[in-house]
Amino acid sequence: MQTPGKMKWLWLVIGAVVMLALPQLVTSSFAIDIFIRILLFSFIGVAWNLMGGYAKQLSLGHAAYFGLGAYTSTIMQVNYGISPWIGMVAGGVVAMLASLPIGWLCFRLRGPYFTIATIATAQVLMLIFLKFRDFAWGAEGTTIPNLGSAPLMMQFEEKSSYYYVVLGLLAVGLWITHRIEKSWMGYYLVAIGEDEDAAEAVGVNAPKIKRDIYMISAFLTALAGTFYTQYIYFIDPATAFSFNVSIEAALVSIVGGIGTLWGPVIGTVLLETTSALLQSWLGSSVGGIQLTVYSLILMAVILWRPTGLIGFATDVYHRTLRRKPARA
Amino acid sequence: MWETLAQAVINGLLIGGIYALVSIGVTLIFGVVKIVNFAQGEFVMIGMYISFFLATQFGIDPLVSLVVSMPVLFLAGVLIQHFLIRRVLGPNDMPQIFLTFALSLLLLNLSLMLFSANYRTVHTSYSDEAWHIGGLYIPLAKLIAFAVAMALSGLLWVFLHTTDLGRAMRAASQNRDVAMLMGINPNRVFAVAFGTALALAGAAGSLLMPFYSAYPFVGQVFVLMAFVAVVMGTLGNVMGALVASLMMGIAESLGIQFVGADSGLIVVFGLLLLTLAFRPSGLGARRGR
Repeated sequence: MQTPGKMKWLWLVIGAVVMLALPQLVTSSFAIDIFIRILLFSFIGVAWNLMGGYAKQLSLGHAAYFGLGAYTSTIMQVNYGISPWIGMVAGGVVAMLASLPIGWLCFRLRGPYFTIATIATAQVLMLIFLKFRDFAWGAEGTTIPNLGSAPLMMQFEEKSSYYYVVLGLLAVGLWITHRIEKSWMGYYLVAIGEDEDAAEAVGVNAPKIKRDIYMISAFLTALAGTFYTQYIYFIDPATAFSFNVSIEAALVSIVGGIGTLWGPVIGTVLLETTSALLQSWLGSSVGGIQLTVYSLILMAVILWRPTGLIGFATDVYHRTLRRKPARA
Repeated sequence: MWETLAQAVINGLLIGGIYALVSIGVTLIFGVVKIVNFAQGEFVMIGMYISFFLATQFGIDPLVSLVVSMPVLFLAGVLIQHFLIRRVLGPNDMPQIFLTFALSLLLLNLSLMLFSANYRTVHTSYSDEAWHIGGLYIPLAKLIAFAVAMALSGLLWVFLHTTDLGRAMRAASQNRDVAMLMGINPNRVFAVAFGTALALAGAAGSLLMPFYSAYPFVGQVFVLMAFVAVVMGTLGNVMGALVASLMMGIAESLGIQFVGADSGLIVVFGLLLLTLAFRPSGLGARRGR
């Protein structure tokens, strides 16, 4: 049944070589820009999937941590000249700490009302950053001072360097997910996702596990926030706490395959490629077309393939090659 | 000072009536069908556009167009329940949350494509009318909207408590399995609940049109209010949602008056977070359960 261990490693090495060589082979900056978006949202999706996918705590408020990461590193850089590399980790820690009170509140609710509470927390953070103008530039936001080529300040002249940074982030995110998946924590998470009461009844400390995974998920999401701000050289509350970040984090995981290692990556490739094609086709003049298409894809997946593209691919693989019924 | 306070309370109460129509819909669907309709706000938006087009194309008063928007949205609700929601009912939350969420995204972005992001307004003869009662200012359009909203809520209450179908809906919301055993047809009850909720959202849209602009994102404002009101008023509780909505309207208005023009939402979310912290089961929950 399983792919032999050696084959797995071979595929992984081939994949890594291709990903490392890609920016050298494809030099169009438009294409690299799309690759960076794909890697970035895959990473955010991976971070969301840890909590949303395995433990089924369906957050639509991950923009809160994306924004906190972005603001922490930017405030440290612009006001105190501290490198965003340090700011990135600091932002992750801030996000982790913020996830404690936010989780304390939101985990009091289950199912859809947990989702709504997470939306509210991200909105509150955005409103706080919008409202208090002497604190972090208010609604106008700020540009990041451009230092030219300054790798120590996470600024590069070549777009491909950003590509490698976010590729590294994604690799870390996937590695962490893989480790968790294979650990006792992974099994506890899945148990909570299947049926929280039943999991607690057999001795899983659900509140603690949920708190821990929320902290890890928040930490990773914050790293993405720092990277994104450095990449676009700009920050304001509307981009940092954008609801679209929360939506896309959840969407890529669900479309790709919720609660699977590679699901968020596959989902992002599909959604971002679709979005790039639509843009080159219609131009960016038609507002709303991207999310219209995303929502149609999401509905189709939910109605016909709740296991996502990964589930679909496994089904097809088993039917055509193995001639064995796929697991439900 | 007291006049400012009273004025803020009146303003909040009047808009709270509209919030109530949206929240009652959300809580009705949650109570009976056991799902949260993330797209409820988008149906308010559709109600507004229906009234807008009837007013600009045929000169029909938005209040009169209530008789179009409500049945149209009722029908839409029955169809959505039958063809979409019915397929994802079950113990698993994920498909339910993200199906209605996808519906919300779809309707919002479709209307963005079709109608653009422009603000649309309808000017009626009573849009600028207002009563002055001892220094207080009561805009007529908002007063009418509030009165109709309360009348519709009252009608719903009568429907839920005196008709067989209404009683079946309440039974289904209290204990679905037992209600099914008693011979209640779940699909019919669910379809009526969903349709009724959407009709209320449509009514809210039509009632808003004389004094509020229609634009694709308008529903988001109302749905957030409704979600907070539904949590505060105890999930699935119609009276709780009504009272909480009026309170939220007042809280928002006081926030705007005394904290700052853009702080209404902060006050509302603050209320939500306080509710979660101290009364997570809502203000209407029975004590000593």
